[in-house]
Amino acid sequence: MDGSAAQVVDVGARFDVRPRIRSALWLGLNRADAIWALAFLVPYIVTFVLFVIYPLLYGLWMGSKPSLYTDLFSDPIYQDTAINTLIYVLVGVNLRMVMALGLSGFFMRKSWWTKPLLILFILPWAVPALPTFLSIHWMLNGNWGLLNNLIWDVTGWNAPSWLDERSYALTSDIVAYIWKWLPFWTVIMLAGRMAIPRELYEAADVDGATGSRRFWHVTFPLMANLYLVCTLLGMLFTMGDFTTVYFVSGGGPANSTQVLATLGVRDAFVMSEPRLGVAAVMSAIPVLVPLVVLLMRRVRAAAVER
Amino acid sequence: MSTISRRSVLQASLGLAAAAGLSRPYIANAAAKTASVWWTQGFIPEEDAGFEKMVADYQKVSGNRIDYSILPFVALEQKMVSALQTENTPDLIAYDGIQTTMVMSAYANKLVDVSDIVAPHEKDIAKVALQSMKLYNNVEKRRAYYAVPFKTASVPFHVWGSLVEKAGYKMSDCPDTWVERWNWFKPMQAKLRADGMRQIYSIGLQMTTNGPSDGNNLFHYWLLAMGGGNIVTPDGHVHLEDPKVKNAVIETVRWICDTYKGGYTPPGCISWNDADDNNGFHSKLFLMDLDGTISTELAMFHRPEDFNNCVTLGLPKGPDGKPSPAMVGAIGGMIPTAAKNIDVAKDFMRYVIEPKVNSDFLKAGLGRWAPIYPQQVKDDSFWLHNENPQLARHLTPYVEETLLGASYPDYMVYNPGYADVEAQQVWGQTYASVYKDGMTPEKAVDKAFKQVEQLLARYPTTA
Repeated sequence: MDGSAAQVVDVGARFDVRPRIRSALWLGLNRADAIWALAFLVPYIVTFVLFVIYPLLYGLWMGSKPSLYTDLFSDPIYQDTAINTLIYVLVGVNLRMVMALGLSGFFMRKSWWTKPLLILFILPWAVPALPTFLSIHWMLNGNWGLLNNLIWDVTGWNAPSWLDERSYALTSDIVAYIWKWLPFWTVIMLAGRMAIPRELYEAADVDGATGSRRFWHVTFPLMANLYLVCTLLGMLFTMGDFTTVYFVSGGGPANSTQVLATLGVRDAFVMSEPRLGVAAVMSAIPVLVPLVVLLMRRVRAAAVER
Repeated sequence: MSTISRRSVLQASLGLAAAAGLSRPYIANAAAKTASVWWTQGFIPEEDAGFEKMVADYQKVSGNRIDYSILPFVALEQKMVSALQTENTPDLIAYDGIQTTMVMSAYANKLVDVSDIVAPHEKDIAKVALQSMKLYNNVEKRRAYYAVPFKTASVPFHVWGSLVEKAGYKMSDCPDTWVERWNWFKPMQAKLRADGMRQIYSIGLQMTTNGPSDGNNLFHYWLLAMGGGNIVTPDGHVHLEDPKVKNAVIETVRWICDTYKGGYTPPGCISWNDADDNNGFHSKLFLMDLDGTISTELAMFHRPEDFNNCVTLGLPKGPDGKPSPAMVGAIGGMIPTAAKNIDVAKDFMRYVIEPKVNSDFLKAGLGRWAPIYPQQVKDDSFWLHNENPQLARHLTPYVEETLLGASYPDYMVYNPGYADVEAQQVWGQTYASVYKDGMTPEKAVDKAFKQVEQLLARYPTTA
C-alpha cells in the first residue's frame, strides 16, 4: 500500500456502508426486487385503507357525537333490543357450537353414507341467506305457513303463530340462525377432530377409555382451544347479524325482537338518521372490545403452546 | 423479437394511468349535459316501461342525456340515505316509499329549492300534492317546494266481492259510513268457515310494526275518519291536547284492538311485513283490507277471473256524516344540493311535470299512480271512464278518492319529527300496549302521546 489516491478510493469502496444500509432498509432485497415488492403491495395497502380503514374511521366519526347516545337510550325499545341481542348471541352461538361439536363426531364415522350426508348437511350454509330467511318467515306464518298446515294435517292441532309472540319469534330467529350457520362450524370442528393424532385414541383404547371418557379425556382437551376461538369468533359475527332477524321475525311483533343490527338499520335508513344507526351498533362496543381482546389472547396462547 | 420485461410492464402501467388521468377532463366535459337519476322500480313492468319511454322522449326533444338507474324501493332508500350522508349524490332522486329522507333533507337544507319548476303549474296541481312538497328548511327558516310532485296515491278498500256473495251478502248493501262498513264484514267469516273455508278471516288489519307504511296508513285513515285530522297542523305544531284529536285516537285504537281480540283478523297481522298483507289478500286469507294504491288488483291484471272478482271501494262517510278524508301521498323528484348537474335535473323535471307527458307516463303504468292535476282526471276518460270496464271498476273509485275528495298530506311534511313517529311505529306499539300488555286504550294513547311530543319537539318549526 503506497497511500495513492486509487488505493484510498479502493479502501473507501470496501468500507462504504451505504449499500448495506440501503439493503437493510429494503429488508435485504436488492433494489429491483424491492420495487417489485412495493408495486405489488401498494394496491393491497390502498384497497385496505380505502375499504377497511377509511370506512372504520368514518363510522367511528359518525357515531362520535354524545347527543346521539342520549337519543338512542331514550328510544323506548333500546333496552329490550340490547337484551334481545345478548340472548340471541349467548343462546344462539353456544347452542350452535355445542351442536357443531357433537355433529363433528358423528361425521367422523367411516360409513359409506357419511360423505353424501355431509354434503346435504352443508346445503343450508351454501344457499343464499335472503331468500332462505324469507322462505322461513313464510313457512312460520300462523295461517298459510307450511309448518302449521303440516302440523294441522298430521295431528289436527292448531299450532301457535310462531312470529306473533316475542318468545316464539326470538326462538324462531335463533333456530333459523343455527340452521343456517351450523354446517359451517361443524366442518370447522370436524377439521379440528381430524387433526387429532390417531395414536392418542389407540393409547386411550389400550387404557380402556371408550365413549364419553374418550371424548372428555382425549377429544375435548385437544379441541378446547379451537372450540373457544370459534365461540368467540361466532359471538363477534353474531353481534352484527342483521339478515336473520330482519327477514324472519322482522323485529316484531311490536318491535319486541329487534336486535342492535336491525335497530341500527331502522335508524339509519327508515328514520333517515345514519349517524343514529351507527351509534346503535357502536353501543355494542363495550361488549365487542373485551371479546376481541379475549380472542387475541387465546389465539396468541394457542400459538405459544404450539 | 421483443421480450416482456418487468421494466416494460411498469412503464406500460404508468402510461395507462397517465392516459386515464389526462382523458378525464374530456369525459367530464361530455357529462355536462347528462343527469344521473335514481328512479324507483314499479310494482308492475308497465310502470318501468313508461318511465323508460318518457326518458327516451325527453332525450330526443332536449338533446340531454339521462343516465338512470331503476332500483327497488328498499335498495333505493339505502342508497339515497348513504348518498345524502356522504354528499356523493345523483342529480335527481324519485323515491316512491315513505318520504322521510325528503323531509329530513329539506329540513337540513340538503335539497335544491324547485319552486321555479312548480310555480307555473301551481294553480292546476292538487292542493294536497303541493302541500306534500312544501317543506320546512331549518337553515333558512322558511317553507318552499323542495321536490317536484309528479304522482299521487291513496289507500282504498280492496274486497273479494265473490266471497261476500258466497257468504250470502250483496256488495250493493255495503254501508257508506265508516265504522258500519268495517263492522259489516265481521259476520261473514263465520258463514264462510261453516262453508269449509277454515282459515278465512273477515278483515286484514295491518297492525304491524314491520314494513314501511301499511300500519301507519291504517291508523291515519281511521284517525281522519274519526275526526282527528288536526293532530299536526301545517305550521308543524302538534295538537294532542285537542279533545277531538284525543278521542279520535282512542276510538281508533279501541276499535282496532277489539277487532283483533275478537278474532276477526289473522293473528299474524301484528308481524306482517310489507308483502304479507298482499299475499294474504291474494290467497283469500281475508275478505277485505285497506291498502295503498290499486297494486293489489293490478298484480292480478293478467288473471281475469281474480281481477274481476275483486272490488275496489273508495272511502265512506265518517261518523259525523261528512266524507272521510284520504291521506294522499305525493311523490316528487328531489334534487340534492350536492348534485353536479342541477340544471339538467331541473330541465328533466320540468318535462316530467308537463301535463301531457305526466299523463302519458302514468297511464302507461295502468293508473297505479294517479296524476297531480285534478282537471286532467276529469278531462281524460282514461281515469274515470276507462274503456276497459274491468279496469274502470278499480281505477274510478281510486282516482276519485285520491284527487277529487277531501284529503290531507302525510303529517311529516308539516314537521319531520312525525317521520320519526312513523318510523318508530308508535301507533303499532300503541296497539301492542293494549292487546299484549293489557293497558286500556286511554292509557296506551297517553303513553303514545308523550312519545309523539318528544319526537316532534326535536324538530322545531317557525313557519
